[in-house]
Amino acid sequence: MEYPLTRLDEKILSLKNASKKALVAYLVAGDPDLDSTLELMHGFADAGVDILEVGVPFTDPIAEGPIIQAAHDRALKNNTSLTKIFGLVKKFRKKNVDTPIILMGYINTFLANIKALEEPYVSGSDAVLIVDIPGESDLKNIGIKNTNLASISLIAPTTSKERISKICDNSSGFIYYVTLRGVTGSSNLNISEAESNINYIRSQTSLPVFAGFGIKTPDDASSLSKISDGVVIGSSLVEMINKHSRKKEFKKIYNYLNEISEAISL
Amino acid sequence: MNNLTNLPNSEGFFGEYGGKFVPETLMHALKELDETYSKLKNNPKFIEEIDQDLVQFVGRPSPLYFAKRLTDHYSGPQIWLKREDLNHTGAHKINNTVGQILLAKAMGKKRIIAETGAGQHGVATATVAARLGLECHIYMGAKDVERQSLNVYRIKLLGAEVHAVDSGTATLKDALNEAMRDWVTNIEDTYYIIGSVTGPHPYPMIVRDFNAIVGRELRKQSIEQFSQYPDAIIACVGGGSNAMGIFHPFLDESNVELIGVEAAGSGLMSGMHAAPLNDGEPGILHGAKSYLMQDENGQVIDTHSVSAGLDYPGVGPEHSNLKDSGRANYIAVDDKEVLDSFHLITKLEGIMPALETAHAFAALDHIAKNYKSNQYLVINVSGRGDKDINTVATMDGISLD
Repeated sequence: MEYPLTRLDEKILSLKNASKKALVAYLVAGDPDLDSTLELMHGFADAGVDILEVGVPFTDPIAEGPIIQAAHDRALKNNTSLTKIFGLVKKFRKKNVDTPIILMGYINTFLANIKALEEPYVSGSDAVLIVDIPGESDLKNIGIKNTNLASISLIAPTTSKERISKICDNSSGFIYYVTLRGVTGSSNLNISEAESNINYIRSQTSLPVFAGFGIKTPDDASSLSKISDGVVIGSSLVEMINKHSRKKEFKKIYNYLNEISEAISL
Repeated sequence: MNNLTNLPNSEGFFGEYGGKFVPETLMHALKELDETYSKLKNNPKFIEEIDQDLVQFVGRPSPLYFAKRLTDHYSGPQIWLKREDLNHTGAHKINNTVGQILLAKAMGKKRIIAETGAGQHGVATATVAARLGLECHIYMGAKDVERQSLNVYRIKLLGAEVHAVDSGTATLKDALNEAMRDWVTNIEDTYYIIGSVTGPHPYPMIVRDFNAIVGRELRKQSIEQFSQYPDAIIACVGGGSNAMGIFHPFLDESNVELIGVEAAGSGLMSGMHAAPLNDGEPGILHGAKSYLMQDENGQVIDTHSVSAGLDYPGVGPEHSNLKDSGRANYIAVDDKEVLDSFHLITKLEGIMPALETAHAFAALDHIAKNYKSNQYLVINVSGRGDKDINTVATMDGISLD
């Protein structure tokens, strides 16, 4: 059966046609507040970010290192809920209809909002990435039946070959390869292991493979982009957002994204 | 009722509860653990090794003791006590750690981590790690480090490192979060000894199985000592390991009533409690679907209990299934009832229960009247109260300095 191309598919196709590596940027919705998040999302897109990963805050984010945990806490202090995040995406779409948005978070907050996830306006968001469900899970089986939402899965260095093919079969959009054993923002990146694992994943799927967790410098981004189809930047952005949010000096963050963007296009 | 005993299924579900909801990095380790346990649990050598440790190191079987003065106090049913407080290290927690440390050994893991609330599981883990000479790290909420300082010192004396966790509510749930993060990071050489019947599959099953020695002994002892199975078994429930251990061997005995007692903290109506089975909704936390204290957005709510070991927003998935099936009943008692009960038991029986355990005793005020003098109640005395002396003194307004 042929489906019309989604916003995410179109983005991935256009990157492929231009032989460009994808730059995916993560931020936590509501950190420091939703207005800033909206401003940052537009700023990110202008600074060369291809895909936005919007973190949905949760009280117990077990896959996150201290930087992103603290951002979740700040966002929760502002009562940032998934419902409010849907509103944020809707506002963002008034000015930007091209940049795909992935909602990244934990299963319990999605389950609490199952009804809202069925509303068509959610399709302003393009995908969900649920950190704490097995990658081979079919979103339909856990109650998320909106066919407009792609399901992004993680594959880790510890994922067995048998499960890699199952996960690939149940994924859409792209595969997110976790470059290290650890939480977000760790620093034990292992490029050669990542390379051989990404090569194996590519042999199992035609989906592009993006690499994330632990990418901090333009050099990290550059070396990982050479062995993958794109990179995901998270903790270092969240750290900068926290540092610059009081005076709203977001320009420094956009400059950093520009540098990363250049580093992966070399 | 047969279908309750043979759970979980191969995916780790007890009815609709349980499962494996964890970051991808952990999936392989859980599979490895499941396979190792399945292989070893029926291996005669493995069983013999555990049995020998339970007898010679833990001091099992624990006695079944008739609480005469407590029985007189309520002038209703005969009240008997299953004395897990007499185990080495002072609680039921050691039943699980002597088993899991052998799994760690079989898997060739060199580093042991655990979370702890009241500190009993931390002590029980540090104890078995010391005995095998393994590096050991215990995660404990900063708030619990303060209120369970004696156990913190015991853990350190045993050579383990205590990591105080400041994030979130600085209690048991946050200690679990941090232990999971450690495990994700050190997955290759680290074994995570979860201390309750919580977490992703296969933990709820493994922890239950190792604690089920308590219920198996009770089957035998009750017949020997009062010629029938108990009419009701009462146990406190935080994550629910002592309750699950004593309940499980009786699931098929439909005449044996099973009563779990949760922490009502400042009272169920106040919302300041730790009683997800009484006042929570199904949700997913720490790898399993189960009843959970959460708000309408799926965020986990702060819990309140005088007892650090019950101060947890979730509960083991098997308890959730027992609740829904009606096989077990879950009630809750508040902090004040617990403190009163602590004093009552200490004075009447010369047994100082842990504050967790005092919840099970406090339930007697509510239920003892429902039973006749020819009926038998068994209370699982899950642990002793030495660790709680500072808390009790503070609540009573007495300074120990």
